[in-house]
Amino acid sequence: MLPAAWSRLSRGALAGRGQRTLSLFSSSGPSNWNKVVSDAEKIVGYPTSFMSLRCLLSDELSNVAMHVRKLVGTQHPLLNTARGIVYDSRNNLQMRGLVVLLLSKAAGPSHTASSLLAQDMVSGIYPSQRNLAEITELIHTAFLVHRGIVNLKDWTVSDGPLKDMQFGNKMAVLSGDFLLANACTGLAQLNNTKVVELISSAIRDLVQGIYYENASNTEENSLTDGVDVATWEEQTFLSHGALLAKSCQAAMELAKHDKDSQRLAYKYGKHLSLGHKLNSDLQPFMKRGMGEPMLFSMTAAPVIFHRQIVGQERWHQQLQQAKTLRNQLDYSKLLAAVKSEKGVSSAVDLCCYHSNKALEAIQAFPSSEARSALENIASAITKF
Amino acid sequence: MVLENMAGPWWRLCRRWTATCASTGLSETVCHFNARSVSSSASSLGRASWSSGPGNQRQPSALPTQMNQNLLNPTSSFTRHESRLLYPTLQFCSCRAAHSDAKLKDPFTLAQKDLTSLYDDIKKELFVSKEELKSLCDYYFDGKGKAIRPMIVVLMARALNIHSNKAGDLLPGQRAVAMISEMIHTASLVHDDVIDGSDKRRGKRTVNDVWGERKAILAGDFILSAASMALARIGNNTVVKVLSQVIEDLVRGEFMQLGSKENEDERFKHYLEKTFKKTASLIANSCKAVSILVNSDPEVHEIAYQYGKNVGIAFQLVDDVLDFTSGANQLGKPSAADLKLGLATGPVLFACQQFPELHAMIMRRFSSNGDVDRAWQYVLQSDGVQQTNYLAQRYCQEAIRQISRLRPSPERDALIRLTEIVLTRNK
Repeated sequence: MLPAAWSRLSRGALAGRGQRTLSLFSSSGPSNWNKVVSDAEKIVGYPTSFMSLRCLLSDELSNVAMHVRKLVGTQHPLLNTARGIVYDSRNNLQMRGLVVLLLSKAAGPSHTASSLLAQDMVSGIYPSQRNLAEITELIHTAFLVHRGIVNLKDWTVSDGPLKDMQFGNKMAVLSGDFLLANACTGLAQLNNTKVVELISSAIRDLVQGIYYENASNTEENSLTDGVDVATWEEQTFLSHGALLAKSCQAAMELAKHDKDSQRLAYKYGKHLSLGHKLNSDLQPFMKRGMGEPMLFSMTAAPVIFHRQIVGQERWHQQLQQAKTLRNQLDYSKLLAAVKSEKGVSSAVDLCCYHSNKALEAIQAFPSSEARSALENIASAITKF
Repeated sequence: MVLENMAGPWWRLCRRWTATCASTGLSETVCHFNARSVSSSASSLGRASWSSGPGNQRQPSALPTQMNQNLLNPTSSFTRHESRLLYPTLQFCSCRAAHSDAKLKDPFTLAQKDLTSLYDDIKKELFVSKEELKSLCDYYFDGKGKAIRPMIVVLMARALNIHSNKAGDLLPGQRAVAMISEMIHTASLVHDDVIDGSDKRRGKRTVNDVWGERKAILAGDFILSAASMALARIGNNTVVKVLSQVIEDLVRGEFMQLGSKENEDERFKHYLEKTFKKTASLIANSCKAVSILVNSDPEVHEIAYQYGKNVGIAFQLVDDVLDFTSGANQLGKPSAADLKLGLATGPVLFACQQFPELHAMIMRRFSSNGDVDRAWQYVLQSDGVQQTNYLAQRYCQEAIRQISRLRPSPERDALIRLTEIVLTRNK
């Protein structure tokens, strides 16, 4: 029912999404955010994680890096993902690891387990918790890579040679698998089967979340079967929240903190992720005037709210009105339509709600500079 | 010097076994042991070191036993064990002689009772509310696979339980390992098909062909995460480590397929190491895992591991041969799928000894026009197929030698019988 041009556009938006996920933390008020993060990094001792170093220096990934050069000039998403890993790694990619470390430090040494020795801690964090932070980043990166797999049957001649896409896929599958396999062996080394199960279930959630994300990003679905806000939150938790929430919980389990601390850590990770996703979804709607309008996804939170508020019928009308002669979508028109209603402000409210919930969860931990850093991070997601 | 210790007893065993086989009428196995002719032709042609014939002490490195030690190392125990727990090979030979052909249980029949609910259990592990994702994940668990890995695992588990004086059923953890082995295997198949761009598997369309690459990769990841959760629930840290190693080996093995080695000796080593990582590691470590769950003796774990490793390598070697020979009869046209993917497997590597022209083709991964057909011809003109089969036999012999150190049981004998099936299968 929809022309190929639209499908190309939405695919472009999809590929762009990968990129946005990479850079989204810096997009929320760069100066403020960067300061929050770099202050936080000082608290946990040395730079967040060395996963990149160990894995990036492996024979396998150097091999991939050599091959990825062949993809320069093609449209395979792996290229952007790789670029992101190299250039954005300072603050953005390793955000999850940083939060795990800060929470570990905020929770402090174990009170019960005799097997855990306080003198093993570096900057107030157990080595196993540092390993966990690395594993969290490994998993996150693995799925950034796997998200960038291309469906070969959707590819047309005008998109470039199919061979490049096949090759790009091969590299993406292999490097994603390599990162995941390293996460698996890393998890096993933690010697805690509860943590292995918890993080494995986070991987399962992530896969499920990405699967939904793909399904609702295909053009037909995004226009007809609108999801409601509750479903959006559920799916966003799977694709963007479960890994951090469960890693935070696992960090508590590794230090043998009680169930209550585990629950609060989980809560902090969950609400921070959801608030953070809302923040990045809101970005295109918060920029004032000037320049090219940003592309945005039809599953971005403000659009979901908007559709729920105006109803399917109005939404379809607005979509029709936003179509150009060549049947492409005029994003600025659509943006204006969304902005004219309460969709944006509802999404902002929800963002603040999650920020507050995260702050609330962290209050139970004793006051410390690590806790302050976590508070700053939770507050920063409401700044635009 | 390992070899000098080894060659003697190893060949004694082999000859004895041949004799035993002949006397018990297992003629099908005997034909696998007319290795002499292969070896003499090999030495007359002046093969490189790794294509040595049996007992040829100057050309030792093709001996599976030596590969065990140096290449695929994990500390194999080739010293003779006089431990009370273990059954020396000689005893095995005599007890084999006492067995009649009929008493060697068919492994498939014997494992049946433990495997009836295997696929249902796997499907339960793969529970997910999204229907489409569920059908992707269940796609290969349709009961049509051979389930050879779970079969080996449950037979090994029972053989080990008897060996360890534990009567009764499989332990729940052992049953879980059987299931997990099939799940890890399937997850890797789904990803391999995307990597190789395959559109057919087990007579049906591949997941990527039906649903596209993006979803196929996610389905593979989903199966792996479910396997990992089931693994964690066994609650044994050592078992988690042993089976996580498999996942890493699978990926590293896949990476090894990307490159070609210039040097021929290195190339063969590379091939065997890749074979271990891609195929044998899963079987070896699953066998080790069920051993860990019932027994605390590392020597017993090593027997289980070595059996799995040697059978696994033999299994893949035969698979590589079948890529050249199967279908040749039925379809008149070989599949040569490996060549088409640019992969030089055992038969090609052996053939390259006889036809150095293959070297350049291997290096360019059969990418020039006509390479696949020419390489194919060279392989058929050479004795690459026989050589590879012969190598597979030796791995099987080593597997038998290892498993024979366990206390006798129907399951142990079924594992011995299985090595014959591995060698004689034609699909």
